[in-house]
Amino acid sequence: MAPLDATVLTNIIYVTIFLIGALLFGFGPIIVVKLLSPTSHTRNIAGKTESFIECGMDSIGSAWIRFGIIYYLYALIFLVFDVDVLFLFPVAVAYNSPEFIIRDFVEVLIFVGILSLAIVYAWMKGVFTWEQKKYSHLP
Amino acid sequence: MDTSIWKPILYLIGFMAFAGLNAAYLGWCERKGAGRIQRRTGPMEVGFQGLLQPLADGLKLMSKQLIVPKGVDGILFRVAPILAMIPAMTSFAVLPLSGNIQARAMELSVLLLFALASIAMMAVLLGGWASGNKYSLIAAARSVSQNLAYEIPMLITVITIVMVSDSMSLRDIAVAQEGGFWHWNLFRLDLSIFMPISFIIFFICSIAETNRAPFDMAEAESELIAGHMTEYGSMGFGLFMMGEYLNMVVGACLITILFLGGWSSPFGLLPSLGLLWFLLKIYVILFTVIWIRWTFPRTQVYKLLNLSWKILIPFSLVNLLVTAAFLKIF
Repeated sequence: MAPLDATVLTNIIYVTIFLIGALLFGFGPIIVVKLLSPTSHTRNIAGKTESFIECGMDSIGSAWIRFGIIYYLYALIFLVFDVDVLFLFPVAVAYNSPEFIIRDFVEVLIFVGILSLAIVYAWMKGVFTWEQKKYSHLP
Repeated sequence: MDTSIWKPILYLIGFMAFAGLNAAYLGWCERKGAGRIQRRTGPMEVGFQGLLQPLADGLKLMSKQLIVPKGVDGILFRVAPILAMIPAMTSFAVLPLSGNIQARAMELSVLLLFALASIAMMAVLLGGWASGNKYSLIAAARSVSQNLAYEIPMLITVITIVMVSDSMSLRDIAVAQEGGFWHWNLFRLDLSIFMPISFIIFFICSIAETNRAPFDMAEAESELIAGHMTEYGSMGFGLFMMGEYLNMVVGACLITILFLGGWSSPFGLLPSLGLLWFLLKIYVILFTVIWIRWTFPRTQVYKLLNLSWKILIPFSLVNLLVTAAFLKIF
């Protein structure tokens, strides 16, 4: 591993200091609340203080259940795009160099073209149509 | 001075004060704006025109009991509000507020900001999931898929900006736009004919990324109580709100730097008052965001997601190609 450049090291120190500051900024109010808020038990007639907000009724079942698959499909297409967009950043920084005029553009064109096939594929597969899925339950 | 340890600490203290005041008074502005738009007066009782209302709210939030409901995921439930705060606050390490007010002029600041922005999303996901409440779970799933969807057009638009300005440093991008409003990226039609479209895409995405109405699927009051914040009381809720306002400020700063020329003055007047111009620009943007919130109805979740996938992403890809072609032809 190459030794760290002084600039990079200073960058890291700055971000770390801000990160620590942000942590303090997050914990500070919580600590103040711990000091100021009432510590005695809550006036609690029906024993519902610690239950979820369901207008006082007991909630039926857990919330940690299987959930609409459609959100995962969206997340999957996102992964395709996010990785590719990351590759575009270095290209964008170096794009303006006057060395290769046509070649640069053609390469970006090919890359974005292939990238946009992902969205065409998802569109064709019907990820973007929200219909109530009908499931046939076998007896 | 550059290597002194006190420089980042002083900047940190300054930005903390700015962030705290901003979160408090943006809340006031929002309630006042909501009031005026709906033909009410908004907060009036505490202090002149309700100016002390944020203080009263803060005291009230701080003296409320921190209740952790039974059946939540203990650790994640406690981590989430703090996690909402961290990325927004850390972003200030690289944001240039004017020519000489910037904690650290980092080369990769654009990349760092977007990396932090994707952590901010985790707070909503963790908060919603760990609450163990069905409304919160729905809110978490919605808001994550929404943030994922809008991150892509945002990133692609940023890539076009990086392309035309050859740098990933926010400072360089802002400096390149100095000298009158016709140098701002928004009006640089000679760089790319689609610049105004990039601006509109970026603006829509930044509203969506900060979960503001009309894209506030994560906390749609009429459907999901308060979404991911439902189970949080006291300062847990307060931290989420502060995080949201801070994210708004960071978003407005980004829009200003990338498209509206950062701290440069529009007509070449008073160029030494960079900070003032910068603040003026971000507050105009923040006012617009508040104005939009109280004027437009909420969208539906699938229309919202499809707006991004079917319209914004194809447009931003075309925009990227057009910009690339423009740069090589001219």
